[in-house]
Amino acid sequence: MTIKETAQENILENGAQEGTEQVSHEVTIFAEPIKHFENFTITNALFSSWVVVFIIIAISVILRSKLREIPKGIQNLFEIIVEGTVSICDQVTNNRKLSLKIFPFAISVFFFILLNNWLGIMPIGGFGLIEEGAHGLAFIPIFRGGTADINMTLALAVMAVFGANIFGAFSLGIWKTFNKYVNLKALGQIGKKIRKDPTIILVAPITFFVGLFEIIGEVAKIASLSFRLFGNVFAGEVLLASIAALVAFFIPIPFLFLEIFVGMIQAFIFSILLVVYFTIGASDHDHEEGHEVKHEEEHDKVVIIN
Amino acid sequence: MESIINAFHIDYKIILAQMLNFGIVFVVLYFYAIKPLGKIMKERGDKIEKGVKDAKTNAEILDKSKAEYEEILIKAKSEADKIFQEGKKEAQTKKTAMLEEAKNEVALIIENGKKTLEADKTKMVEEAKKEIVTLVISATKKLLGEKIDGSLNEKTIKEFNNL
Repeated sequence: MTIKETAQENILENGAQEGTEQVSHEVTIFAEPIKHFENFTITNALFSSWVVVFIIIAISVILRSKLREIPKGIQNLFEIIVEGTVSICDQVTNNRKLSLKIFPFAISVFFFILLNNWLGIMPIGGFGLIEEGAHGLAFIPIFRGGTADINMTLALAVMAVFGANIFGAFSLGIWKTFNKYVNLKALGQIGKKIRKDPTIILVAPITFFVGLFEIIGEVAKIASLSFRLFGNVFAGEVLLASIAALVAFFIPIPFLFLEIFVGMIQAFIFSILLVVYFTIGASDHDHEEGHEVKHEEEHDKVVIIN
Repeated sequence: MESIINAFHIDYKIILAQMLNFGIVFVVLYFYAIKPLGKIMKERGDKIEKGVKDAKTNAEILDKSKAEYEEILIKAKSEADKIFQEGKKEAQTKKTAMLEEAKNEVALIIENGKKTLEADKTKMVEEAKKEIVTLVISATKKLLGEKIDGSLNEKTIKEFNNL
Protein backbone atom coordinates (compact mmCIF):
# COMPACT_ATOMS: atom_id res chain seq x y z
CA MET A 1 0.00 0.00 0.00
CA THR A 2 1.93 3.00 -1.22
CA ILE A 3 1.05 6.56 -2.00
CA LYS A 4 2.34 7.36 -5.43
CA GLU A 5 3.03 10.94 -6.05
CA THR A 6 2.52 12.71 -9.31
CA ALA A 7 5.02 11.96 -11.99
CA GLN A 8 6.80 15.27 -11.94
CA GLU A 9 6.91 15.39 -8.18
CA ASN A 10 10.08 13.73 -6.99
CA ILE A 11 11.35 12.04 -10.07
CA LEU A 12 15.08 12.27 -10.14
CA GLU A 13 16.85 12.12 -13.38
CA ASN A 14 19.67 9.66 -13.37
CA GLY A 15 20.68 10.70 -16.87
CA ALA A 16 24.41 10.70 -16.50
CA GLN A 17 24.73 7.11 -15.41
CA GLU A 18 21.51 5.48 -16.49
CA GLY A 19 20.82 7.18 -19.76
CA THR A 20 17.09 7.79 -20.17
CA GLU A 21 15.97 5.57 -17.24
CA GLN A 22 14.11 7.53 -14.56
CA VAL A 23 14.28 7.12 -10.79
CA SER A 24 10.95 7.44 -9.03
CA HIS A 25 10.36 8.43 -5.44
CA GLU A 26 7.32 7.06 -3.73
CA VAL A 27 6.13 8.20 -0.35
CA THR A 28 5.30 4.98 1.42
CA ILE A 29 3.20 4.53 4.53
CA PHE A 30 5.91 2.30 5.99
CA ALA A 31 9.56 3.01 6.57
CA GLU A 32 11.81 1.87 3.72
CA PRO A 33 14.70 -0.53 4.36
CA ILE A 34 18.15 0.86 3.77
CA LYS A 35 20.29 -2.06 4.97
CA HIS A 36 19.72 -5.74 5.68
CA PHE A 37 21.52 -7.84 8.30
CA GLU A 38 20.45 -11.47 8.13
CA ASN A 39 17.17 -11.29 10.08
CA PHE A 40 17.28 -7.63 10.91
CA THR A 41 16.38 -4.77 8.58
CA ILE A 42 17.52 -1.24 9.22
CA THR A 43 14.86 1.17 7.99
CA ASN A 44 15.34 4.86 7.28
CA ALA A 45 13.08 5.67 10.26
CA LEU A 46 15.22 3.54 12.56
CA PHE A 47 18.35 5.24 11.22
CA SER A 48 16.81 8.67 11.88
CA SER A 49 15.93 7.49 15.35
CA TRP A 50 19.58 6.54 15.96
CA VAL A 51 20.62 10.00 14.78
CA VAL A 52 18.18 11.49 17.29
CA VAL A 53 19.60 9.30 20.06
CA PHE A 54 23.09 10.51 19.10
CA ILE A 55 21.94 14.17 19.13
CA ILE A 56 20.33 13.74 22.56
CA ILE A 57 23.44 12.04 23.95
CA ALA A 58 25.60 14.88 22.56
CA ILE A 59 23.33 17.57 24.04
CA SER A 60 23.24 15.77 27.40
CA VAL A 61 27.02 15.42 27.54
CA ILE A 62 27.48 19.10 26.59
CA LEU A 63 24.92 20.14 29.18
CA ARG A 64 26.57 18.00 31.85
CA SER A 65 29.97 19.51 31.13
CA LYS A 66 28.58 23.06 31.33
CA LEU A 67 26.58 22.69 34.52
CA ARG A 68 27.39 25.55 36.88
CA GLU A 69 25.80 26.93 40.02
CA ILE A 70 25.17 30.20 38.18
CA PRO A 71 23.37 29.08 35.00
CA LYS A 72 24.48 30.27 31.59
CA GLY A 73 23.44 29.57 27.99
CA ILE A 74 22.22 26.02 27.40
CA GLN A 75 21.79 25.41 31.15
CA ASN A 76 19.40 28.38 31.36
CA LEU A 77 17.33 26.94 28.54
CA PHE A 78 17.16 23.48 30.14
CA GLU A 79 16.31 24.89 33.55
CA ILE A 80 13.38 26.77 32.00
CA ILE A 81 12.27 23.57 30.22
CA VAL A 82 12.58 21.46 33.38
CA GLU A 83 10.70 23.99 35.52
CA GLY A 84 8.02 24.37 32.83
CA THR A 85 7.61 20.59 32.53
CA VAL A 86 7.32 20.11 36.28
CA SER A 87 4.75 22.89 36.54
CA ILE A 88 2.69 21.36 33.68
CA CYS A 89 2.92 17.95 35.38
CA ASP A 90 1.70 19.62 38.60
CA GLN A 91 -1.42 20.79 36.78
CA VAL A 92 -2.19 17.17 35.86
CA THR A 93 -1.15 15.36 39.04
CA ASN A 94 -1.92 18.06 41.65
CA ASN A 95 0.93 16.51 43.57
CA ARG A 96 4.50 17.85 43.39
CA LYS A 97 6.04 14.60 44.66
CA LEU A 98 4.29 12.59 41.95
CA SER A 99 5.17 15.21 39.31
CA LEU A 100 8.86 14.94 40.21
CA LYS A 101 8.65 11.16 39.69
CA ILE A 102 6.80 11.35 36.36
CA PHE A 103 8.43 14.33 34.67
CA PRO A 104 11.70 12.56 33.65
CA PHE A 105 9.63 10.13 31.55
CA ALA A 106 7.55 12.93 30.07
CA ILE A 107 10.54 15.12 29.21
CA SER A 108 12.42 12.18 27.63
CA VAL A 109 9.42 11.24 25.50
CA PHE A 110 8.92 14.89 24.54
CA PHE A 111 12.50 15.37 23.31
CA PHE A 112 12.64 11.99 21.60
CA ILE A 113 9.40 12.60 19.66
CA LEU A 114 10.14 16.28 18.99
CA LEU A 115 13.55 15.62 17.46
CA ASN A 116 12.21 12.69 15.45
CA ASN A 117 9.35 14.87 14.15
CA TRP A 118 11.67 17.71 13.21
CA LEU A 119 14.29 15.46 11.67
CA GLY A 120 11.59 14.14 9.33
CA ILE A 121 10.83 17.59 7.93
CA MET A 122 14.43 18.73 7.61
CA PRO A 123 15.31 19.48 4.01
CA ILE A 124 17.76 16.59 3.81
CA GLY A 125 15.51 14.28 1.83
CA GLY A 126 17.94 14.44 -1.08
CA PHE A 127 20.34 12.05 0.68
CA GLY A 128 19.44 8.50 -0.15
CA LEU A 129 19.95 5.32 -2.05
CA ILE A 130 18.81 4.28 -5.52
CA GLU A 131 17.57 0.72 -5.57
CA GLU A 132 15.83 -1.56 -8.03
CA GLY A 133 12.15 -1.63 -7.11
CA ALA A 134 9.03 -3.28 -8.49
CA HIS A 135 8.51 -0.39 -10.91
CA GLY A 136 12.11 0.26 -11.89
CA LEU A 137 14.68 2.33 -10.04
CA ALA A 138 13.45 3.88 -6.82
CA PHE A 139 14.95 6.56 -4.62
CA ILE A 140 15.01 5.69 -0.93
CA PRO A 141 15.74 8.65 1.34
CA ILE A 142 18.18 7.83 4.11
CA PHE A 143 16.26 9.98 6.62
CA ARG A 144 12.61 9.57 7.50
CA GLY A 145 11.03 10.99 10.61
CA GLY A 146 11.12 8.23 13.19
CA THR A 147 7.55 9.03 14.20
CA ALA A 148 6.43 8.62 10.58
CA ASP A 149 6.90 4.89 11.13
CA ILE A 150 4.23 3.00 13.05
CA ASN A 151 6.86 0.73 14.60
CA MET A 152 8.27 3.61 16.56
CA THR A 153 4.97 5.13 17.68
CA LEU A 154 3.79 1.65 18.64
CA ALA A 155 6.96 1.10 20.67
CA LEU A 156 6.45 4.40 22.49
CA ALA A 157 2.75 3.74 23.10
CA VAL A 158 3.40 0.23 24.45
CA MET A 159 6.10 1.64 26.73
CA ALA A 160 3.81 4.44 27.90
CA VAL A 161 0.90 2.16 28.76
CA PHE A 162 2.98 -0.62 30.30
CA GLY A 163 5.15 1.98 32.02
CA ALA A 164 2.06 3.58 33.56
CA ASN A 165 0.95 0.22 34.97
CA ILE A 166 4.41 -0.65 36.26
CA PHE A 167 4.60 2.81 37.82
CA GLY A 168 1.17 2.16 39.36
CA ALA A 169 2.36 -1.18 40.72
CA PHE A 170 5.33 0.56 42.35
CA SER A 171 3.14 3.34 43.75
CA LEU A 172 0.12 1.35 44.92
CA GLY A 173 1.37 -2.20 45.03
CA ILE A 174 0.98 -5.12 42.64
CA TRP A 175 -2.27 -6.38 44.24
CA LYS A 176 -4.12 -3.06 43.84
CA THR A 177 -2.90 -2.61 40.26
CA PHE A 178 -3.92 -6.18 39.42
CA ASN A 179 -7.36 -5.56 40.93
CA LYS A 180 -7.91 -2.63 38.59
CA TYR A 181 -8.18 -5.16 35.75
CA VAL A 182 -9.10 -8.44 37.42
CA ASN A 183 -11.19 -7.21 40.29
CA LEU A 184 -11.10 -10.19 42.63
CA LYS A 185 -11.50 -7.85 45.54
CA ALA A 186 -14.99 -6.91 44.33
CA LEU A 187 -15.98 -10.58 44.02
CA GLY A 188 -14.55 -11.28 47.45
CA GLN A 189 -16.74 -8.60 49.00
CA ILE A 190 -19.93 -10.46 48.04
CA GLY A 191 -19.51 -12.85 50.96
CA LYS A 192 -18.62 -10.08 53.38
CA LYS A 193 -21.31 -7.54 52.59
CA ILE A 194 -24.23 -9.57 51.31
CA ARG A 195 -26.13 -9.40 54.63
CA LYS A 196 -25.63 -5.70 55.02
CA ASP A 197 -26.12 -4.79 51.37
CA PRO A 198 -27.81 -7.48 49.22
CA THR A 199 -27.36 -5.42 46.02
CA ILE A 200 -23.69 -6.30 46.12
CA ILE A 201 -24.53 -9.57 44.41
CA LEU A 202 -25.31 -7.52 41.28
CA VAL A 203 -22.78 -4.71 41.73
CA ALA A 204 -19.72 -6.89 42.37
CA PRO A 205 -19.88 -8.91 39.12
CA ILE A 206 -20.46 -5.69 37.17
CA THR A 207 -17.41 -4.16 38.89
CA PHE A 208 -15.45 -7.29 38.01
CA PHE A 209 -16.42 -7.03 34.33
CA VAL A 210 -15.68 -3.30 34.27
CA GLY A 211 -12.18 -4.28 35.36
CA LEU A 212 -11.91 -6.64 32.43
CA PHE A 213 -13.06 -3.88 30.09
CA GLU A 214 -10.22 -1.77 31.43
CA ILE A 215 -7.85 -4.21 29.72
CA ILE A 216 -9.51 -3.39 26.41
CA GLY A 217 -9.19 0.27 27.36
CA GLU A 218 -5.44 -0.17 27.78
CA VAL A 219 -5.18 -1.73 24.32
CA ALA A 220 -7.22 1.16 22.95
CA LYS A 221 -4.81 3.57 24.60
CA ILE A 222 -1.91 1.93 22.77
CA ALA A 223 -3.78 2.13 19.46
CA SER A 224 -4.88 5.73 19.93
CA LEU A 225 -1.48 6.95 21.08
CA SER A 226 0.45 5.24 18.29
CA PHE A 227 -1.93 5.96 15.39
CA ARG A 228 -2.53 9.60 16.42
CA LEU A 229 1.17 10.40 16.42
CA PHE A 230 1.94 8.36 13.33
CA GLY A 231 -1.04 9.77 11.40
CA ASN A 232 -0.26 13.39 12.20
CA VAL A 233 3.43 13.19 11.40
CA PHE A 234 3.02 11.08 8.29
CA ALA A 235 0.23 13.37 7.03
CA GLY A 236 2.51 16.34 7.58
CA GLU A 237 5.29 14.78 5.56
CA VAL A 238 2.88 13.90 2.74
CA LEU A 239 1.52 17.45 2.82
CA LEU A 240 5.00 18.93 2.55
CA ALA A 241 5.94 16.59 -0.32
CA SER A 242 2.70 17.41 -2.15
CA ILE A 243 3.07 21.17 -1.76
CA ALA A 244 6.72 20.98 -2.82
CA ALA A 245 5.65 19.00 -5.90
CA LEU A 246 3.07 21.61 -6.84
CA VAL A 247 5.22 24.70 -6.24
CA ALA A 248 8.88 24.12 -5.52
CA PHE A 249 9.85 27.56 -4.16
CA PHE A 250 8.54 29.84 -1.36
CA ILE A 251 5.03 28.35 -1.08
CA PRO A 252 6.17 25.31 1.01
CA ILE A 253 7.81 27.62 3.59
CA PRO A 254 4.61 28.42 5.59
CA PHE A 255 3.73 24.73 5.52
CA LEU A 256 7.19 23.90 6.78
CA PHE A 257 6.64 26.23 9.75
CA LEU A 258 3.22 24.69 10.27
CA GLU A 259 4.80 21.23 10.44
CA ILE A 260 7.45 22.47 12.87
CA PHE A 261 4.58 23.64 15.06
CA VAL A 262 2.59 20.42 14.56
CA GLY A 263 5.68 18.37 15.44
CA MET A 264 5.97 20.26 18.72
CA ILE A 265 2.25 19.99 19.48
CA GLN A 266 2.23 16.24 18.83
CA ALA A 267 5.24 15.70 21.07
CA PHE A 268 3.52 17.77 23.75
CA ILE A 269 0.22 15.85 23.42
CA PHE A 270 1.97 12.49 23.70
CA SER A 271 3.92 13.63 26.76
CA ILE A 272 0.83 15.05 28.48
CA LEU A 273 -1.12 11.86 27.81
CA LEU A 274 1.77 9.89 29.25
CA VAL A 275 1.61 12.03 32.40
CA VAL A 276 -2.15 11.48 32.57
CA TYR A 277 -1.76 7.69 32.23
CA PHE A 278 0.99 7.61 34.84
CA THR A 279 -1.16 9.70 37.21
CA ILE A 280 -4.14 7.38 36.68
CA GLY A 281 -1.83 4.41 37.20
CA ALA A 282 -0.63 5.82 40.53
CA SER A 283 -4.12 6.80 41.78
CA ASP A 284 -6.01 4.49 44.11
CA HIS A 285 -9.68 4.06 43.05
CA ASP A 286 -10.67 2.31 46.29
CA HIS A 287 -9.19 5.12 48.34
CA GLU A 288 -11.07 7.73 46.32
CA GLU A 289 -14.31 5.75 46.55
CA GLY A 290 -13.74 5.38 50.29
CA HIS A 291 -13.35 9.16 50.52
CA GLU A 292 -16.53 9.72 48.55
CA VAL A 293 -18.48 7.33 50.80
CA LYS A 294 -17.06 9.08 53.86
CA HIS A 295 -18.05 12.48 52.43
CA GLU A 296 -21.57 11.23 51.71
CA GLU A 297 -21.89 9.83 55.22
CA GLU A 298 -20.72 13.14 56.71
CA HIS A 299 -23.14 15.02 54.49
CA ASP A 300 -25.99 12.77 55.69
CA LYS A 301 -25.00 13.41 59.30
CA VAL A 302 -25.04 17.17 58.68
CA VAL A 303 -28.48 16.91 57.10
CA ILE A 304 -29.80 14.90 60.03
CA ILE A 305 -28.39 17.40 62.52
CA ASN A 306 -29.93 20.29 60.61
CA MET B 1 -4.83 -7.99 11.88
CA GLU B 2 -2.33 -9.56 9.54
CA SER B 3 -3.32 -7.13 6.80
CA ILE B 4 -2.60 -4.22 9.16
CA ILE B 5 0.76 -5.74 10.08
CA ASN B 6 1.62 -6.19 6.42
CA ALA B 7 0.35 -2.78 5.37
CA PHE B 8 2.32 -0.90 8.00
CA HIS B 9 5.28 -3.30 7.93
CA ILE B 10 5.00 -3.79 11.67
CA ASP B 11 8.10 -5.63 12.77
CA TYR B 12 8.62 -6.60 16.42
CA LYS B 13 12.39 -6.39 15.99
CA ILE B 14 12.16 -2.75 14.93
CA ILE B 15 9.71 -2.11 17.78
CA LEU B 16 12.25 -3.58 20.21
CA ALA B 17 15.03 -1.55 18.60
CA GLN B 18 12.95 1.63 19.01
CA MET B 19 12.24 0.71 22.64
CA LEU B 20 15.96 0.30 23.17
CA ASN B 21 16.52 3.70 21.54
CA PHE B 22 14.05 5.34 23.88
CA GLY B 23 15.59 3.48 26.81
CA ILE B 24 19.00 4.91 25.91
CA VAL B 25 17.50 8.40 25.55
CA PHE B 26 15.79 8.12 28.92
CA VAL B 27 18.86 6.82 30.75
CA VAL B 28 21.19 9.39 29.18
CA LEU B 29 18.80 12.30 29.72
CA TYR B 30 18.04 11.22 33.27
CA PHE B 31 21.60 10.60 34.44
CA TYR B 32 23.42 13.23 32.37
CA ALA B 33 20.93 16.07 32.31
CA ILE B 34 17.82 15.88 34.48
CA LYS B 35 19.33 14.46 37.69
CA PRO B 36 22.42 16.71 37.92
CA LEU B 37 20.42 19.70 36.74
CA GLY B 38 17.74 18.98 39.34
CA LYS B 39 20.42 18.62 42.00
CA ILE B 40 21.98 21.97 41.11
CA MET B 41 18.57 23.65 40.99
CA LYS B 42 17.64 22.17 44.38
CA GLU B 43 20.95 23.24 45.92
CA ARG B 44 20.49 26.75 44.55
CA GLY B 45 16.92 26.85 45.80
CA ASP B 46 18.05 25.72 49.24
CA LYS B 47 20.81 28.32 49.26
CA ILE B 48 18.38 31.08 48.29
CA GLU B 49 15.93 29.90 50.92
CA LYS B 50 18.71 29.81 53.52
CA GLY B 51 19.90 33.25 52.39
CA VAL B 52 16.43 34.72 52.75
CA LYS B 53 16.05 33.05 56.15
CA ASP B 54 19.49 34.32 57.26
CA ALA B 55 18.71 37.81 56.01
CA LYS B 56 15.49 37.77 58.01
CA THR B 57 17.32 36.54 61.13
CA ASN B 58 20.08 39.13 60.61
CA ALA B 59 17.51 41.90 60.23
CA GLU B 60 15.89 40.76 63.47
CA ILE B 61 19.28 40.66 65.21
CA LEU B 62 20.12 44.10 63.80
CA ASP B 63 16.84 45.52 65.06
CA LYS B 64 17.45 43.95 68.46
CA SER B 65 21.05 45.26 68.54
CA LYS B 66 19.87 48.72 67.54
CA ALA B 67 17.36 48.75 70.35
CA GLU B 68 20.00 47.45 72.78
CA TYR B 69 22.51 50.04 71.53
CA GLU B 70 20.04 52.84 72.01
CA GLU B 71 19.15 51.58 75.46
CA ILE B 72 22.83 51.33 76.41
CA LEU B 73 23.47 54.78 74.96
CA ILE B 74 20.67 56.30 77.02
CA LYS B 75 21.89 54.46 80.12
CA ALA B 76 25.48 55.60 79.48
CA LYS B 77 24.37 59.17 78.96
CA SER B 78 22.44 59.23 82.21
CA GLU B 79 25.33 57.55 84.02
CA ALA B 80 27.83 60.02 82.55
CA ASP B 81 25.57 62.86 83.59
CA LYS B 82 25.37 61.44 87.09
CA ILE B 83 29.13 60.99 87.28
CA PHE B 84 29.63 64.52 85.97
CA GLN B 85 27.29 65.94 88.54
CA GLU B 86 28.97 63.98 91.32
CA GLY B 87 32.38 65.08 90.07
CA LYS B 88 31.24 68.65 89.95
CA LYS B 89 29.95 68.44 93.49
CA GLU B 90 33.12 66.80 94.74
CA ALA B 91 35.27 69.35 92.96
CA GLN B 92 33.25 72.10 94.54
CA THR B 93 33.72 70.57 97.99
CA LYS B 94 37.42 70.08 97.40
CA LYS B 95 37.73 73.60 96.09
CA THR B 96 36.07 75.00 99.19
CA ALA B 97 38.23 72.85 101.47
CA MET B 98 41.41 73.86 99.67
CA LEU B 99 40.44 77.48 99.78
CA GLU B 100 39.79 77.22 103.49
CA GLU B 101 43.12 75.50 104.03
CA ALA B 102 44.91 78.12 101.97
CA LYS B 103 43.29 80.87 103.97
CA ASN B 104 44.29 79.21 107.22
CA GLU B 105 47.81 78.76 105.99
CA VAL B 106 48.03 82.38 104.87
CA ALA B 107 46.71 83.47 108.26
CA LEU B 108 49.30 81.29 109.98
CA ILE B 109 52.08 82.67 107.79
CA ILE B 110 50.97 86.21 108.56
CA GLU B 111 50.81 85.41 112.25
CA ASN B 112 54.28 83.89 112.19
CA GLY B 113 55.57 86.86 110.22
CA LYS B 114 54.10 89.23 112.76
CA LYS B 115 55.69 87.31 115.60
CA THR B 116 59.08 87.25 113.92
CA LEU B 117 58.74 90.93 113.13
CA GLU B 118 57.87 91.70 116.74
CA ALA B 119 60.84 89.68 118.00
CA ASP B 120 63.16 91.34 115.55
CA LYS B 121 61.80 94.74 116.54
CA THR B 122 62.33 94.02 120.24
CA LYS B 123 65.83 92.75 119.55
CA MET B 124 66.62 95.77 117.41
CA VAL B 125 65.27 98.17 120.05
CA GLU B 126 67.41 96.43 122.64
CA GLU B 127 70.46 96.58 120.50
CA ALA B 128 69.74 100.20 119.65
CA LYS B 129 69.39 100.96 123.34
CA LYS B 130 72.75 99.28 123.99
CA GLU B 131 74.30 101.23 121.19
CA ILE B 132 72.82 104.46 122.50
CA VAL B 133 74.07 103.77 126.05
CA THR B 134 77.51 102.94 124.71
CA LEU B 135 77.43 106.13 122.68
CA VAL B 136 76.22 108.20 125.62
CA ILE B 137 78.92 106.73 127.88
CA SER B 138 81.54 107.35 125.25
CA ALA B 139 80.30 110.88 124.87
CA THR B 140 80.15 111.42 128.60
CA LYS B 141 83.68 109.98 128.98
CA LYS B 142 84.96 112.40 126.51
CA LEU B 143 83.16 115.17 128.21
CA LEU B 144 84.27 114.24 131.78
CA GLY B 145 87.69 113.31 130.79
CA GLU B 146 87.85 109.63 131.40
CA LYS B 147 87.11 109.70 135.15
CA ILE B 148 84.26 107.26 135.15
CA ASP B 149 85.19 103.61 135.90
CA GLY B 150 83.94 100.39 134.57
CA SER B 151 81.37 99.68 137.32
CA LEU B 152 79.68 103.01 136.70
CA ASN B 153 79.53 102.25 133.08
CA GLU B 154 77.74 98.97 133.72
CA LYS B 155 75.31 100.50 136.18
CA THR B 156 74.41 103.20 133.75
CA ILE B 157 73.69 100.68 131.05
CA LYS B 158 71.42 98.71 133.35
CA GLU B 159 69.52 101.81 134.36
CA PHE B 160 69.18 102.83 130.79
CA ASN B 161 67.85 99.45 129.92
CA ASN B 162 65.25 99.67 132.61
CA LEU B 163 63.80 102.86 131.14
